[in-house]
Amino acid sequence: MASNTSSSQPRSGRLRHVNWSAVAMIAPSVITLLLVGLYPLLFAVSLSLQRFMLNRPQGNGTFRGLTNFLSVVNDDLFWGSLGRTLTMMVIVLIVQVVLGIGIAQLINTSRWHFLNWLVKTLLVVPIAMTPAVVGLLGVLLFNREFGFINYLLGQQVNWLGDPTMAMAAVIITDIWQWTPFAALVMLSSLTTVPPEVVEAAQLDTKRAWLVFRHVQLPYLWPGITAFLIIRTADVLKLFDMPFTLTRGGPGVSTELISLYVQRMGFRIFDMGVASAQAILLLVLCIILARSYIRFFYRAPEEA
Amino acid sequence: MYLRKNRLLALVVVTIGLLALGTVIGPAGAQEWSLAEAAAPYRGLEIKAFFLERPGYVAAEQMIDQFEAETGITVTWDTTPYENSLEKQTLDFTGGTAQFDVTLVDVVWIGNFAANGWIVPLETFYNDPALADPNLNLGGFFPILLESFGTWDGVVYGLPFDNYSGLLYYNRCMLEEAGFDAPPDTWQDLYETYGPALTQDGKYAFALQSKRGETQSADSFMRVIWPFGGSLLNDDFTSNLSSAESLAGLQFRQDLMAYMPPDIVSFDHDETVQALAQGQVAMITEWSAFYATLSNPETSTITDCLGITVEPAGPAGRKPALGGFSLAVNATTSPEKQAAAWLFIQWITSEAVAEEYAQRGGVSGRTSVYSDPEMLAQFPHYAALAESWEQYGNAVFRPRFPEWPAISDVIAQYGTEMMLGSISVEDAVAQINERMAEILTDYTNGTLPMLQ
Repeated sequence: MASNTSSSQPRSGRLRHVNWSAVAMIAPSVITLLLVGLYPLLFAVSLSLQRFMLNRPQGNGTFRGLTNFLSVVNDDLFWGSLGRTLTMMVIVLIVQVVLGIGIAQLINTSRWHFLNWLVKTLLVVPIAMTPAVVGLLGVLLFNREFGFINYLLGQQVNWLGDPTMAMAAVIITDIWQWTPFAALVMLSSLTTVPPEVVEAAQLDTKRAWLVFRHVQLPYLWPGITAFLIIRTADVLKLFDMPFTLTRGGPGVSTELISLYVQRMGFRIFDMGVASAQAILLLVLCIILARSYIRFFYRAPEEA
Repeated sequence: MYLRKNRLLALVVVTIGLLALGTVIGPAGAQEWSLAEAAAPYRGLEIKAFFLERPGYVAAEQMIDQFEAETGITVTWDTTPYENSLEKQTLDFTGGTAQFDVTLVDVVWIGNFAANGWIVPLETFYNDPALADPNLNLGGFFPILLESFGTWDGVVYGLPFDNYSGLLYYNRCMLEEAGFDAPPDTWQDLYETYGPALTQDGKYAFALQSKRGETQSADSFMRVIWPFGGSLLNDDFTSNLSSAESLAGLQFRQDLMAYMPPDIVSFDHDETVQALAQGQVAMITEWSAFYATLSNPETSTITDCLGITVEPAGPAGRKPALGGFSLAVNATTSPEKQAAAWLFIQWITSEAVAEEYAQRGGVSGRTSVYSDPEMLAQFPHYAALAESWEQYGNAVFRPRFPEWPAISDVIAQYGTEMMLGSISVEDAVAQINERMAEILTDYTNGTLPMLQ
């Protein structure tokens, strides 16, 4: 009895020290976040453990344990589409970061203020475009007979009818749309580099690469890490653009993992297996994000 | 007392007489059925229809004002790309959200929607004298259309609304320049005679839309199986793709690719129609709905050279593609909205407005439109269309059970890989067979009735 009393007193004391007005202000955001973020996740986890066929509802809700996960793990098409997605991810992330840094450097060192403003404004245009529309534009641009890209090249490249070239078309389109985002992120990081440090370094060496490597790059790592995390999640769920551009074909040559999950969920209508695939993707995404932070992120002082 | 008895007798006689008169007047009253009176209980309701971005739907949208003025029922619509329409409607049904009162049923969705109880049997409405137009005349639809788009397991669920048959569209001028005064009558002619003569100088004899998706499975793969005597399934729902006839059809497609554009596996309907419209290819087999695009000088450069006929025949005869949509009533919406939805469906598919619907760009399923000499003169493709539906219709051109989307996806994948030559016809068929057997297990083990 005595112990109960003594233990309840500190708790009520703690409660008295809670800043309830702060809790009241934060609570709506937290509750909304839980509803919007956590509820769908828990629902997906729940579905992944059940039989849930949209087109054959009889028997839905039957607990299947890890059967759905096992069928995903044993599915060659799943691993094939995941492999394609990861390959594309590595290519586009490297190209976008390199090009983004290059564009940011050009803007940062340019003395043409109006031109800088114009370029920064134009960079937003591809990012703001709806991905499905980008895919539809790609259909026109990559058309073998009438496409603008083949017109520029002066030859009839079979972009969308050849498996390798179709994947190249998807990659090029993604690079076109998202390199500006990389450039804007890198530009914002470059503006945090103290000009006097750069000037001091330039007195020490004339080699721009050394100045970039030892002075500017440390300031870019946080931006690069953020970009990698955002775009990794983005590529893993990239759907609209490849769907409208190639619909995953020819064959499965451009079937990225999000297209395959969508196919499982809304063509085969097996929401249980589709949810299991989505959960596995989420785990992969978290692992990659943590790896980026572990290996790439450096505060400028640490670097 | 006597007088009282007489009065009572007179009253009984008059009452019986009035009742008798009532029974005589009754049927005459039914014949005076009017849409406005039938819709009176639902005046002020708003119903929503599921539409696509195709000419038939634009035609219906232009006519909705008339229905609204006569009934007081407001009809709104949601236009969705075809590729998303099954997903969107399925989520509406399973979520019970009843966003759409008038649902759109593709020929290959009827089994899915009906077997799951997502759409209402139309006998509920056409057996109700208050709702049934005496001129409904279900027999006035082409039987093949009502059977394939609207009927499942002997029950009518939808009325044919947007109706297609595969037709052979050709550039008459290109054919004449190559020395042909008529289009090919058989697939073999097309391959052996027309193909080599018309494939030159960057132009191609033929284009068969084969992009991955329903275009590959329905428009390309299935199109070459039937004319060669093949089919997708045997009666016991095992695969028939390994039969000599089915393989011959698929191998024929491989051979015919020599006379098609090299990027044919990226051709959807638009690319195929444009290839003919811009003079890139001489012939295509496409849906009747694309007549509007090919005959319009704003979207086609070959309007003066456009020729249309039935699809070529194969060794097993003429087996053109069959497709289209019926309109049905969503079972998850309220009874009042169901009745209002029925009145709209009954009206927009009626014989009374069929010609106007056709004039505005729709393709009616009513036989009366195709027997009108004025309509036949105005729409040159109508004769071939009616011939295809009357003589060569194949209700199971594609199976209509709920598993078709899953099978279609498998075919779409291996079908395009087969065309690219990355897998042989035989190996691709073996892969499809294996996956199709898994998908159809519940049928072959007797759990589900074998309906397609």
